Amino acid sequence: MQEYSVLMNNVSFGYDLNRKIVNNISLKIPKGKIVAIMGGSGCGKTTLLRLISGQIKPDCGSIQLFDQELNNISNKNMLSLRKRIGMLFQFGALFTDMTVFDNVAFTLQEHTNLNADLINTIVAMKLHAVGLFGTQNLMPQELSGGMARRVALARSIALDPELMMYDEPFTGLDPISLNVSATLIQKLNKSLNQTVILVTHDIESTFKIADYIYFMSKDGIIAEGTVDEIKNSTNAMISQFIAGNIQGLYNFEYPTTLNYHEYLGLI
Amino acid sequence: MQKIYTIIARIGNPVTAFILHLSGILRLLLAALINLPYSFLRPQLIVKEIYYSGVKSILIIVVSGWFVGMVLGLQGYNTLQRFGSVSMLGSVVALTLLRELGPVLTAILYAARAGSGITAEIGLMKATEQLEAMSVMAVSPIKRVIVPKFIGGIIAVPLLAALFNTAGIWGGYFVGVVLFKLDHGAFWSQMQDSVSLHYDVINGIIKSSIFGITVTLIAVYQGFIAKPTAEGVSNATTRTVVSSALSVLALDFILTALMF
Repeated sequence: MQEYSVLMNNVSFGYDLNRKIVNNISLKIPKGKIVAIMGGSGCGKTTLLRLISGQIKPDCGSIQLFDQELNNISNKNMLSLRKRIGMLFQFGALFTDMTVFDNVAFTLQEHTNLNADLINTIVAMKLHAVGLFGTQNLMPQELSGGMARRVALARSIALDPELMMYDEPFTGLDPISLNVSATLIQKLNKSLNQTVILVTHDIESTFKIADYIYFMSKDGIIAEGTVDEIKNSTNAMISQFIAGNIQGLYNFEYPTTLNYHEYLGLI
Repeated sequence: MQKIYTIIARIGNPVTAFILHLSGILRLLLAALINLPYSFLRPQLIVKEIYYSGVKSILIIVVSGWFVGMVLGLQGYNTLQRFGSVSMLGSVVALTLLRELGPVLTAILYAARAGSGITAEIGLMKATEQLEAMSVMAVSPIKRVIVPKFIGGIIAVPLLAALFNTAGIWGGYFVGVVLFKLDHGAFWSQMQDSVSLHYDVINGIIKSSIFGITVTLIAVYQGFIAKPTAEGVSNATTRTVVSSALSVLALDFILTALMF
């Protein structure tokens, strides 16, 4: 029987009553699989990760994380669930007052009783995995944007979490770093049977490593399937997104009642 | 009728905002108190905060204390001279500093120097998702960030007030004894006679501890509620200094009425 790390059922959320960010989303994240969530900017992908990690509560619908309902979970249980998840933030979110070493060692020092030597070894291994061994004593502001994101990746996998959520892990990376990151995500998934939720726009890398893909829009999930199913989808919105066409069903422009030409006095 | 509603709303809005902020600060205080034991397991975090907020404020505190003491010396000398009691200068300088100026000015200087820094740091941590990252890593920002700053402030402010008072007394001594050639022995003996350890020194320490709690709470609260933008953080730091100064002055009046 298929086990699921995350189950979302008819989840909606908005920061205010008039504007729904996440609209009636239902999805299943199977244990040990890499599930990609794709969609245009501003369709609520990052908000979805925030809902799954319990940082925000849905307006309606239910979210189950490791078989526990998040709607009425106690703070104590939420904290113990969070020890089992890792999240890579879109902009890294490294602690700027700590060295690279302290950033990567943060969860190890907070949640384990490992001795300093062992923590030192684990940090070195994690940094080596992202190609940044030797940067232990640098401060985050001494790193390039791409390096900072790789340090953030090393930090998020420090405890080998059961569920990893990556928010745009490939943005701003050079081709080599991108390849290293994609391979690392896949390696962790295989070796630890780790569940992965990958929020990304990078079609090539997603098609290479994902087991299943959900396509989101402002109106909810518009398509889902395996990589081959998505590649061969006849859905006009999916085809447009993959091809990167401006014209089509996928509305690239901000919905407004103003007329651009009229606004500029051209007509 | 509409005009009356507008007037009521104009009065009501700031009042409800004040009550909301006050309840927010009290809830933060409660959360900090509940999480106090955690910080004692991580004393290095408290030491770091004392260093950044306290040790790095020493220069401004000592220099300010010295000048305030010199001004007190000058004003005190001019006034006491009229009554032929210049020998009381040591008492005047010491009592003014220990009871009022030391705790009050230290707290205001601390708010400007360290409080604004605390607010900006927490506000920027919020803007760059560092607090959110901490929460996702199952580490409470209240425990890891707020409580150490809170304890650091409570420890640092009374110690800084003691330094302010010491520098101020030496400033007064410089004006009275070195510049105006008052008797060195009279300056110190009058001070020793009139200053009571319990009544003046301990009450001064209590005052500065309460001011330390107030200023640090305001600073961390403003950082916590800051809008995660450059303008939001800038406004929050301004609010920290203004609210701290007003709160310290108002509390000083209440405490003075109760203590002396």
